[in-house]
Amino acid sequence: MEQINPSIDIESRRMELRGVVQLAGEVIAQYWPMRTFVHHNPLHSLEYLPFEETARRGKQFMGGHSYLPGALYREYLKSGRMQTAHLDAVLKPLVQNQSVTIGSRQIAHGDVLRSCLTEGLCAPVTEPLDDQLYDPEKETLDAVAAGLAAGWTFPDLRKRIDLIVEGDQAALGRWLTLSHWCDDTLGTQIVRQINDQLIKWCEAFLDEGHAAWAMPERERGLYSSWKALAAQEWSPCGIADSRRKIAQLPDYPEDALLQSLDALGIPSPLRQDYLSLQLTALPGWAGFIKWRAEERDYPWQQAYPVGLVKFLAIRVWYAHELVQKACRDELGIEGRYDAIVAYMRERPDEYYLRRQRVAGRLPALYAEEVDRLRHHKGTGWSRVIERYAADVVPRQEIAARRGAAKRLSALARSLELDPALLASAPPATLTQLFNWMEAFPEADHGPVWLKALEAAYQQRLLGQLRTPAAQRTASANPPGTSRPYSQSVYCIDVRSEPFRRHLESTGPHETYGFAGFFAAFIRYRAWGKEHDTEQFPVIMRAKNEVREIPRSYFDHKVSKHEARTKWVQAGHTLLHDLKENVVTPYVMVESLGWFYGLPIFGKTLLPALYHRWTSWLRHLFVPTIATTLTVDKMAPAETAEMLATEHHAVIRKVLHEQAGLRSSRIAPALVEALRQQALNGQGDLDPALIESAQPAGLSAEALPPLIDILRRQYDLTARSTSRHKERITRMGFTVEEQALTVDTALRMMGLTHNLARLILFCAHGSTSENNPYESALDCGACGGNEGKPNARVLAMMANNPLVRKRLAKNKLAIPPDTHFLAGQMDTTTDDVQLFDLEDVPPTHRADLARLLEDLNEASALTSLERCARFPDVQEPLDEQAAKAHVRQRSVDWSQVRPEWGLSGNTAFVIGRRELTKGLDLDGRVFLQSYDARQDPSGRLLEVLLTGPQVVAQWINMEHYFSAVDNDVYGSGSKIYHNVVGRIGIMSGPWSDLRLGLARQTVMNGDVPYHEPMRLLSIVEAPRARIDKLIERHEVLRHFYHNEWVHLIALDPEDLAWYRYRSTGVWTPLE
Amino acid sequence: MIDAALIPWLIAGVPLLGAAVSPALWAQPHRLIAWSVGACGASLASVAGVGFAGYLAPQPEGLLLLFLLPLAAGVSLLGQPHHQDHRASWVLTLIFLGLGLGALTSQPVVGTLFLIAIHGLVIVLLYRHHTPLWPISWWGLGAYTLGALCLALTLVAAPPLSSMAALLVCAILLPLVPFHDGHLTALTRLPGNLPSFMVLLFPALGLHSLAPLAATLPDTVAWMVGGLALAGTVYGAVKALAQSRVRLLLSYSSLSFFSMLWWCVATARAVTPRAALFVGAMGLVMCGLLLAWQIIRTRYGDDVDPQAISGLASTMPQYAVLLSLLALAAMGLPPFGVFAGFVGLLLSSTAAFSAGIVVLICAWLASSWYILDLVQGLLFGARRADLRYADLLQTELVSLVIIVLTLLALGVAPITLFGPDRTPASISSTPTSTHPGSVAWNK
Repeated sequence: MEQINPSIDIESRRMELRGVVQLAGEVIAQYWPMRTFVHHNPLHSLEYLPFEETARRGKQFMGGHSYLPGALYREYLKSGRMQTAHLDAVLKPLVQNQSVTIGSRQIAHGDVLRSCLTEGLCAPVTEPLDDQLYDPEKETLDAVAAGLAAGWTFPDLRKRIDLIVEGDQAALGRWLTLSHWCDDTLGTQIVRQINDQLIKWCEAFLDEGHAAWAMPERERGLYSSWKALAAQEWSPCGIADSRRKIAQLPDYPEDALLQSLDALGIPSPLRQDYLSLQLTALPGWAGFIKWRAEERDYPWQQAYPVGLVKFLAIRVWYAHELVQKACRDELGIEGRYDAIVAYMRERPDEYYLRRQRVAGRLPALYAEEVDRLRHHKGTGWSRVIERYAADVVPRQEIAARRGAAKRLSALARSLELDPALLASAPPATLTQLFNWMEAFPEADHGPVWLKALEAAYQQRLLGQLRTPAAQRTASANPPGTSRPYSQSVYCIDVRSEPFRRHLESTGPHETYGFAGFFAAFIRYRAWGKEHDTEQFPVIMRAKNEVREIPRSYFDHKVSKHEARTKWVQAGHTLLHDLKENVVTPYVMVESLGWFYGLPIFGKTLLPALYHRWTSWLRHLFVPTIATTLTVDKMAPAETAEMLATEHHAVIRKVLHEQAGLRSSRIAPALVEALRQQALNGQGDLDPALIESAQPAGLSAEALPPLIDILRRQYDLTARSTSRHKERITRMGFTVEEQALTVDTALRMMGLTHNLARLILFCAHGSTSENNPYESALDCGACGGNEGKPNARVLAMMANNPLVRKRLAKNKLAIPPDTHFLAGQMDTTTDDVQLFDLEDVPPTHRADLARLLEDLNEASALTSLERCARFPDVQEPLDEQAAKAHVRQRSVDWSQVRPEWGLSGNTAFVIGRRELTKGLDLDGRVFLQSYDARQDPSGRLLEVLLTGPQVVAQWINMEHYFSAVDNDVYGSGSKIYHNVVGRIGIMSGPWSDLRLGLARQTVMNGDVPYHEPMRLLSIVEAPRARIDKLIERHEVLRHFYHNEWVHLIALDPEDLAWYRYRSTGVWTPLE
Repeated sequence: MIDAALIPWLIAGVPLLGAAVSPALWAQPHRLIAWSVGACGASLASVAGVGFAGYLAPQPEGLLLLFLLPLAAGVSLLGQPHHQDHRASWVLTLIFLGLGLGALTSQPVVGTLFLIAIHGLVIVLLYRHHTPLWPISWWGLGAYTLGALCLALTLVAAPPLSSMAALLVCAILLPLVPFHDGHLTALTRLPGNLPSFMVLLFPALGLHSLAPLAATLPDTVAWMVGGLALAGTVYGAVKALAQSRVRLLLSYSSLSFFSMLWWCVATARAVTPRAALFVGAMGLVMCGLLLAWQIIRTRYGDDVDPQAISGLASTMPQYAVLLSLLALAAMGLPPFGVFAGFVGLLLSSTAAFSAGIVVLICAWLASSWYILDLVQGLLFGARRADLRYADLLQTELVSLVIIVLTLLALGVAPITLFGPDRTPASISSTPTSTHPGSVAWNK
């Protein structure tokens, strides 16, 4: 028999494990760092499953609810957000054709189900054993309970125990980790202990410059650095001999994880689910690690590698040690899967009593008896269970019957029946009614409520969209009839909708909706910044870079500006270091503490004034300089020249500092020879170099150290130069690329004819104070950044005469008097700022003035509309007051809702503006301009459905899940938020990285401000074209077939509305 | 003018009369409880009338406890559910109140007879409510039986045997380790509202019995009592920390606090009105906490495990506020009576700073831990969707408000209001013969 090579076997096991971990990680979503907050579906990886199935998985793994509590849906029903008719329509498939008669009244199955929903009759209620509260209905209830006794049997204790044991056996490893099992059975706190440890290590390891003292040895990776440091700890979590155990762990995290899984005895088929459960115990940290592991180019990942295998290796080691300890100490068994299963099977009474005790479900005296048996390792479990069966179970039966009678009585009242009639009803009827209610538990209500709520909203929205043009507040005349004052393009974001509506109401302005990155996929570096931002949707990639540079006529001011900026930065750094240092805060508080009084009082008492004052001061010290962008690509010769100049400067510096040569003695030939030697020469010195060095007094022996310094300290090597060159070649766009970008953008926007004299690309950003999630308010299509650079890039491209020539060749003629502007709307203040106004031709000044005036008016109207939504604004405001109010909110550091514009998003309309023009869509609809007539091939629609729609769905789902279960899928109250590691936030000082949106973002008190509904996509396009795209793209099939997104089409061919069913069939809408 | 000898019978007679009439209302629980509360009110009025008229003989511990007993009986009844199963406990409350007031106001022999009657009743009740799941109740029964025997002994034996027997009775009523099982059993096993009343009645009777003995304690006995008190303080605190059942936690907690009082009395050799203030405030706060727990039991069953209840702060806000105030009072924070009593005891203590005081402070701090833990567990945490929440009924609200206001009043009222504020030194210097009920250890 052929011998198997052990090393190959180990490697294959490692590979297999990595695959299992990858699959296990599907249940957690990636967690983007907060500086580029990306709205996403927290269950994104499970979108291949139907929505309802994913909801179940979310409950299983994360413990999260995927629907609102029934009480909130009932509030929606009472407030008229939905009607009973919507409920009945959704209930139709569940209703059986059966009824019972009570008194003279016939009660149908459907009536019972509806009552269950509208009155909350099926909510699980624990009926107390000896309820002593006075109940005026007691006699009736007793009679009904007696009636139920005949046809309804209370489950036998033995059967209940067997059921629990069987259920827990089946759940162990799949839904329940061994650590959870110990916590539930033995009352330990293993999961919390492990979480505390992992939070500690993750917080220290994943820190991105927030900590004053960084964790040592991070460059070795999470697992190895933990191993090195944890081995110094004294008995973490009470694990005996932990130092030796940790030191003896394998070097490879895969091996350690396998070893721990083997020690826990987790069967192979269960390992994926088991590891999923381990990951979902801390979905925030695990999600961030998952994201980092997938971002191989991320600088922090390159410096300090981390991955889910490493994370799990640590986690499961703690789990194994603690489970082992608990099982041995408490039960005298091994902490292994098989031993625990055997324990449940062989000692069911003890298991039942222990579980009930930990869950707080035992009467106090029995709880104490169980405690006594546990502490004394007693053997009287059977005796206690016998007494329990004789003493408690009959009381439980009575309580259960009383509970059932209460529910039947509530049902009778909801059906406007006298509950006393129930007392005279036959037992079979009562049992039948009760069984109907039991078969429709509250856990099954969520999907019904959600569908009814969605149906109600969809009905309203479609009713609006069908409003004839004559009945709308603004005319919906098709564009092209006359030349508009301006055309402006806004992000598809729901926050643009009110602004567009108001701008259109001020005059003949046309507006368009397009994803806020304006088809400009760029990596951008602002002037004076050291890091790039990725200005495109996270699901895409960019190959072009753009930098912001001062305009050439400001060259003389640049050095002064830079120097002052450095002073400001140095001041900030100094203050930060003084605050963070171990010793200096003691001195600093005494000496400089008073200085902080000014900002504290200013920001608290007069935030708007303080903001204006500090802005003025900042501009006084560091005046703003007009800038432009490096949109055009450099020619290869220019690139080479630029690189050579940079190298020459470095070499001159080295010659001066290392060889003591004055500038006059440094000949260009020597510099170039040294450069060539550093870049190309690996062996002997080039004779030309030796020759050019002689006049400067440098011997041949002095040259190699200089070259070595150039290579090592200044990275003057061929490889580095090549990288640099490649980077420079990525800078900017060629004319062809620019023409293609503008062509694509304008065609997708539908801006191809009757162009106005001014066309504005209006991006959006936000201003808020003391808001860690500020980027969540920025443009999602720009990777959670402001869209200003993209707007400027596209405007500059579109104004380029060479680009226009190319476009004209492509039959996209831009009139010579059309000028493209870039602007940005601040969604917290509603102000629009225009950029690069230096480039506006003098002939367009009047147009510009008119546009600015109308933009200001639209801004004021938008602020007024927004103010009406803020719960803290009690009185109606006038326009000026509204403007002042939103500005104050944006700079108020105690404001938890500086904007509150994105919440409420519900629908996505892809179609012509005529469809929505003049309609108040309440800031809830993403508007994407699309003219199906301009896209016969469906190419543009394909991009819209697979790009912007995906972004909209992520935003929608982020809000949906944050609203339905803010504790699990959201990030809880902002009051407790603490920034950690510059990557995210924790609740309080010690928690998982919080996912999703803050409670204040989606809730208004206890009621959701964001009505959680799945996205409704309305597409104005031929159905056949949509069908083709659905067939082509898996993501679309997942969306529509798995009911993550509702799809409705307005078919231009027959002007009829159709709904796309999850079965893939179109049905006409009435 | 009323004969002074009749005064105790008058004071005891009001609640006993109330109890005697109650069988007529047996079939109507609502009326019965209203009648019982009324009887307690009448009792309080009679005590106040007699007390302010100056008919009551001055007591070393003052008259505060006399006023507090009817009040505690009344609020313990108010906090009860109007359930027919509790009728017996309502009537028994009146009987115990009558007997207790009799014991506090009568001459020694009659007072002893009242005490014997109380012991006898408790023994019967504990026997009736004994459960095999709580074997410690045998020890409780034994303690009260011992108490009854000791009381009988005080009537027939001569000192020092009678003195020792009297001290044992005190140690059973005002719990002192190792005779504390009666206290634990009474607070955990007595039915209905009786525990919330007994937690004040028994210590009040114990303190009253201790008053004449304190000044006569020989050094050895005082040293032993002091040692046991310190041990009891620590033991009670440690046991309370380990409890999961509320009534046991409160029992051990009160044991710890009453042991502090024992230590102060043993070192000062005197029972002052400040000691009565401490016992009254502590008894009342424990009465309040037991009532608060009873309110939970009313809703979720007698045997409910406190672990199963959480999140009441949002669902029962009135309850949450009052429970929090009671917890603050129980932890000995100002301006409540427990703080005033404890600080008064320490300030008037003749003991210099010693290890005993450190122990007392530690136990006091420990009480903050377990009481806060209990309150935190009930008020905060996840709200259980499967539980029905109903905030306080009017009677429950009134009962808890009365307790909180009384504790507040005890904390801010001048001590002279309850009796002459004499220092332990001045009491010690007073000849023992001034106390008619005093018992000499050595003739």
